[in-house]
Amino acid sequence: MTSKKIILSGSFGVGKTSLFNQFIYNRFSDKYLTTIGVKVNKKNILVDDTEIPLLLWDIAGEVAQDKVPTSYFLGASGVIYVFDLTRPMTYQNIQTDINYLKDLLPGGIIKIVGNKVDLVSDEQLENIRTSLPITIDIVTSAKTGQNVEELFLDLGKELIR
Amino acid sequence: MTRPNKHLNEKILLDELREVILREDREALTEIENTLNDPRLLSEKVNPIIEQHLEFLKSEFPDAYRTAVGRQIDARLELFKDEMIGHMYPEMGKIVRKYVTHQFQLLKERIDGTVRNTFSLKTVKRKFKATFLGIDESDLVLTGADSIKIEEIYVIQRNSGLLLGKAAREEVLDQDVVAGMLTAIKSFVEDAFRRDSEDLEMIQYGSYKIFIQNFHSYYIAVAMQGSLSASESDVLSTKLLKFAHSYLEKLENITDLKIRNISTKLYENFIKDQ
Repeated sequence: MTSKKIILSGSFGVGKTSLFNQFIYNRFSDKYLTTIGVKVNKKNILVDDTEIPLLLWDIAGEVAQDKVPTSYFLGASGVIYVFDLTRPMTYQNIQTDINYLKDLLPGGIIKIVGNKVDLVSDEQLENIRTSLPITIDIVTSAKTGQNVEELFLDLGKELIR
Repeated sequence: MTRPNKHLNEKILLDELREVILREDREALTEIENTLNDPRLLSEKVNPIIEQHLEFLKSEFPDAYRTAVGRQIDARLELFKDEMIGHMYPEMGKIVRKYVTHQFQLLKERIDGTVRNTFSLKTVKRKFKATFLGIDESDLVLTGADSIKIEEIYVIQRNSGLLLGKAAREEVLDQDVVAGMLTAIKSFVEDAFRRDSEDLEMIQYGSYKIFIQNFHSYYIAVAMQGSLSASESDVLSTKLLKFAHSYLEKLENITDLKIRNISTKLYENFIKDQ
C-alpha cells in the first residue's frame, strides 16, 4: 500500500509532538518540547494484514490559517486534531478549526483527540464531553501511552475502508 | 380706361419675361424631380458617388483608423501607465533577472576558469604531459573535468510530499521521511518568502546540493556532490525534462508497482552509469 500523509494538528502545547514520539518511538519526553515548523516521521502500521506506511507531519503550534502554511495540509489523507483536556482555551475554537480543516481537506479523515487524559478525573472528562459542540473520537495520554496505538489503528482502519 | 390696360400689358410682359428667364431652371428642376422619383435614374446618379467614397474609405480608412486608435491607446497608456507597469514589471523582472543571473554566472565561470587555468601549475603540467605524450591538450582537459556526482534522486508529489520514485547510491535515511521533510522545507520557503509564485530550485550546504526541478503536480529533487556550473545545470535540467516526458506523464492513481517502475528508471538513468 502506498504511504498515507497524516497531519498532527492542534493548539500550542497540547501534546502533538509527545503523541508523535510515543507512537513512533514508544517514549515520552517530560521535557517540554516545542516544534519549530514541522517535523516529518514515518511508521508502518498493520491493519487486518495490510501494512500501511503512515507519514506523520507534526505541525507546530496553531491550526489557524494565518499561522501555518496551508500547503502543509495539502495531499493529506487525514488529520489528527489534538486538544489538551486540561486547558479549555485549546478547545474553545474547536468547531471553527474543524470546519477549516474540512474545507482544506474535503473528504479527508479527521480524528478529534483529547490528550492528557491522565490529568483529568472521569467527572471532568464527562463535563468536557457534554460541553463540546462536537464528539471526541478518542482520549489519550502521550505520557502513559494510553490509547495512543488505538488512535493510529483506528485511523488505519478508516484509511483502508 | 387707358390706365388698367397699361397694367395688364405690363403683367403679361412680366410673365413672359419670367417664362424666358426661368425656363431652363424649371426644366432642370423637373428633371431633378424625375430623377429623384425614379430609383433607376437615382441609382445611376448616386452609385458612382458611393463607389467613389467606398474606394476612398478602403484606401484611407486603415491609416485614419490606426491613427485614431493609436491616439486612444497612447492616451489610455499614459493614463494607466503606473497600473500597466505594476502588472508587467514582476513578470518582466523575473525573466530579466533570471536571464541576467544566468549570463553573469556563465561569464564569471569563464573568467574564473581562464584566470585559474592560464598560469596554474596544473595547466603547466598538463601542457608538458600533452607535449610529452603527444596527446591533444583538450582531451586531457576533458578527462580531468570535475563532474558532478548524483547521490540520490527523488520524484516527489508536490502537495503531499509523498514519494513517487527514488534511487540512491546508498540508502542512509528513510527516503519517505526525506521526501516529506524536503517538501516541508520547500513549502515553508515558498510560503515565507513568497515572490510571485516562484519555486525553490536549489538547496546547498557545503559541497552538497539539492537541485530541484519543479513540475505541475510533482518535483524532482537531485542530491549531488561537486560543483554544478550553469551549463551543467542546464544539461541536468534538460535530462530531467526528458525523463519526466518519458516516464512521468501519467501519474494518477499511484500504486506500489508504478513507484517501483519509476525508481528503476531513475536508477538506470541517473545513478547506474555515473
